Amino acid sequence: MSINNLILITCRTINQGVALEGGKNTKENVRAAGICAFDKDDFKKLDCIVGTPVKVITDHGEVVVYSTISEEGPHPGIIFIPMGPWANQVVNPDSQSCGTPTYKGMKARVEVMPSGKVLDAVNLIKLLREA
Amino acid sequence: MNKLLVDVKLKLKKRPKFPLEAENITPDKFAGKPAAEIMKLTIYHGNEEKKIRDFFDVSGNGGEVNDTKIIIDGDLSNVKRIGEKMTGGEIIINSNVGMHVGNNMSGGKILVNGNADDWAGAMLKGGELEITGNAGHYVGAAYRGFWKGMENGIIKVKGKIGNEALSWANGSKPSKRFPKLICGGAGSFLGVHSHGGTIIVEGDCDRCIGADQVRGTIIVKGKISRILPSYKKLGQVKEIELMNGEIIEGKFTEYSGDHSVEKNHSKIDKKTGKISNSSNGRLFVAA
Amino acid sequence: MAVKNIKTVTDVICPFCGTLCDDLEVDIDTKEQKVIEVRNGCQIGTKKYFASNPSGHRYDKPLIKDNSSYKEVSWDVAIDKAANILVKAKRPLLYGFSSTECDAQGKGVELAEMLGGILDNTASVCHGPSLLAIQDVGAPTSTLGEYKNRADLVVFWGSNPVHAHPRHLGRYSDFVRGYFRKDGTNDRFIVVVDPRNTNTAQLADMHIQVNPNEDYELLNAIRATLRGVELDGDVISGVPKNKVIELVNALKTCKFGVIFFGMGLTQTLSHHRNIDAAICLVRELNDHTKFLLTPMRGHYNVTGANQVFSWQTGYSYSIDFSKGYPRYNPGEFSSVDVLIRDEIDASLIVASDPASNFPAAAVKNMFKHPLITIEPHHTPTSVNSDIILPPAIAGIECEGTAYRMDGVPLRLRKVKEAPGECLTDKEIIEKLIDAVKKKKGE
Repeated sequence: MSINNLILITCRTINQGVALEGGKNTKENVRAAGICAFDKDDFKKLDCIVGTPVKVITDHGEVVVYSTISEEGPHPGIIFIPMGPWANQVVNPDSQSCGTPTYKGMKARVEVMPSGKVLDAVNLIKLLREA
Repeated sequence: MNKLLVDVKLKLKKRPKFPLEAENITPDKFAGKPAAEIMKLTIYHGNEEKKIRDFFDVSGNGGEVNDTKIIIDGDLSNVKRIGEKMTGGEIIINSNVGMHVGNNMSGGKILVNGNADDWAGAMLKGGELEITGNAGHYVGAAYRGFWKGMENGIIKVKGKIGNEALSWANGSKPSKRFPKLICGGAGSFLGVHSHGGTIIVEGDCDRCIGADQVRGTIIVKGKISRILPSYKKLGQVKEIELMNGEIIEGKFTEYSGDHSVEKNHSKIDKKTGKISNSSNGRLFVAA
Repeated sequence: MAVKNIKTVTDVICPFCGTLCDDLEVDIDTKEQKVIEVRNGCQIGTKKYFASNPSGHRYDKPLIKDNSSYKEVSWDVAIDKAANILVKAKRPLLYGFSSTECDAQGKGVELAEMLGGILDNTASVCHGPSLLAIQDVGAPTSTLGEYKNRADLVVFWGSNPVHAHPRHLGRYSDFVRGYFRKDGTNDRFIVVVDPRNTNTAQLADMHIQVNPNEDYELLNAIRATLRGVELDGDVISGVPKNKVIELVNALKTCKFGVIFFGMGLTQTLSHHRNIDAAICLVRELNDHTKFLLTPMRGHYNVTGANQVFSWQTGYSYSIDFSKGYPRYNPGEFSSVDVLIRDEIDASLIVASDPASNFPAAAVKNMFKHPLITIEPHHTPTSVNSDIILPPAIAGIECEGTAYRMDGVPLRLRKVKEAPGECLTDKEIIEKLIDAVKKKKGE
């Protein structure tokens, strides 16, 4: 199942903040920042259970993260990934020459990947080293 | 008096690893110098102070400033500040060029046969900058923190430009300063904070055109993705008179703006207490 | 019976976010030099104190990469190797500085100037656009204490304090009694402008659900309405026109208003122009009432980094020293942009984690070249570094000054000793400066 025409926002959450202070290379951080939160009604279109891995694709990259339902809805058409290495695989690096990348508002689409693997921060970043 | 009409030719030996800061490549700096002296002018490569001869093959001698023509070949996409502060003469660049080309220029002409990077023609005070390809963001813009940007001169870009062109432009009818930009297409925030700039877009542009404009004219011959809420539709026109008196023919919808700016509403009627709702900024979109 | 030696330190300044709470109490086991309890802090600040205790995640000795593992070395060996890398570089990047104290930041400026490199701090990816806008149009602002005591209308635009600045609402902006707002939250009207119904919006009195990336048009419409212009159309940026008019009336008729803004404005399209419009709006509201604005700074001392860099170079971030004097141009000299253009040939990262926070394309290029980090914990940046230099954590194991989001300086306390062989950030950078000086033959 997949959904097109979404807008991706990346931002802080308190869990991601606690996890990053507790250890960025830990499993707790994956569960805090390696997630994508959907609007309740949008999530029904995916036809899967909470926690199923999904692939988020934008013009700038793709990443596999755990899916979840947002507690900050309703926001139909908007998904969010907390700031961190997973979000940064898919954000827009272009700052339009002002210095700050455009971390919010990317056009995105999502595919359910039941057998997808959500990497922890170290292994995710390692891919960048090897690229 | 014999005039030396020999062009100064520069050829980049190979693409530098770090950006080159080439503010010494101008007719003013080359004027009256033989090739041997031109080769010894400073050029910056990262944090190293080098000489032009370390990166360029040089031939020809500089004449008077206004007679000096510099022709540059090679891949200059990483070479910044060519033509900085020049007052006359000519530069022809036969490739893409780096940031800040022709910044602070007050006379003469630069032709870029390729694309230009950001800040092309920034703080322009006169002269002409022509780009046959596309240009980046901040064309003819003001540098950070300056409240007066392009004051005069003309920039022509055949292709598309990025965002925030002619920011803080400062033109004036009484002082006969008409900063002007003609481009094939544009991004967003064209003429932001403009005080008397003239912009003609031959094609389409994005959002927030004329944001915070106080005076000036913006003409879009293609489509705008969204017009700002603070612009008021005035009606249809068949011709437009630019600040410098030039007439542009065609069917356009005329808007006045930007009505969110305090400067456009500074007059308060003492009797009614109402803020005067006029603005001298104009946006014309092809009908 | 073992008697634990417990020391309680009061009035501790929390070193996490820009709210810089100054009322924490920390209990330390003086024998083990460990944090035992933290009172008054939010979840994140508390976690930071506990995470400073020695653990498998904390570095306590200098490390150098040896094939695919790290070996412990002495400070002299590590500093010498780091200085070699920095001196040879033609365009080194010195980045971070936001999670350390002001003296260390000043030393960072000195080092960048000596190396002729690029100096940048985390404002570059965060509130840099706010600084750009302030440089264009100024900023009517004030201190948090004034808002606590006077504000009866508080707008959070693109900011979600419940998640990012957890105690802000309770100490300064909503659930707190002020001198002129004696009834606390009942005396205040909270407006949240955000595309999502965030936890902060759920507490607010009015939620404006704006479309993502369309904040500029909404600010523009508000300013125009304030000036008496009739808006065309029924919906602006996803907000019904009557709601826009309702908001304008609320803004005009309050006694003392404040806009707190965050990444919703700086990290969306049109970046600094969003802030520009917000500042112009606030300025014009002062024709009707008293109105101010303050950026919700993320790191606890990014404001300090901007301050220190400004005093010493004239510019607050994205500074290039390659010509021997400081030059400033975000977009040209900002960290993400220079990394994406692959212009850098060595990096020194201090008190930040760009591998986690920069877009992937920039991180990829950063890893291509030598990387030195001054970092207390295992992070994605440190585990990919060539040299790791372990610091004492400022605000926990090291004293210093930090600047709050409103520019108020507060003195960080040292509550315990750093583990192992950690030195303070300032001492580490001083050692680097001495080593670089020697190698340059000065």
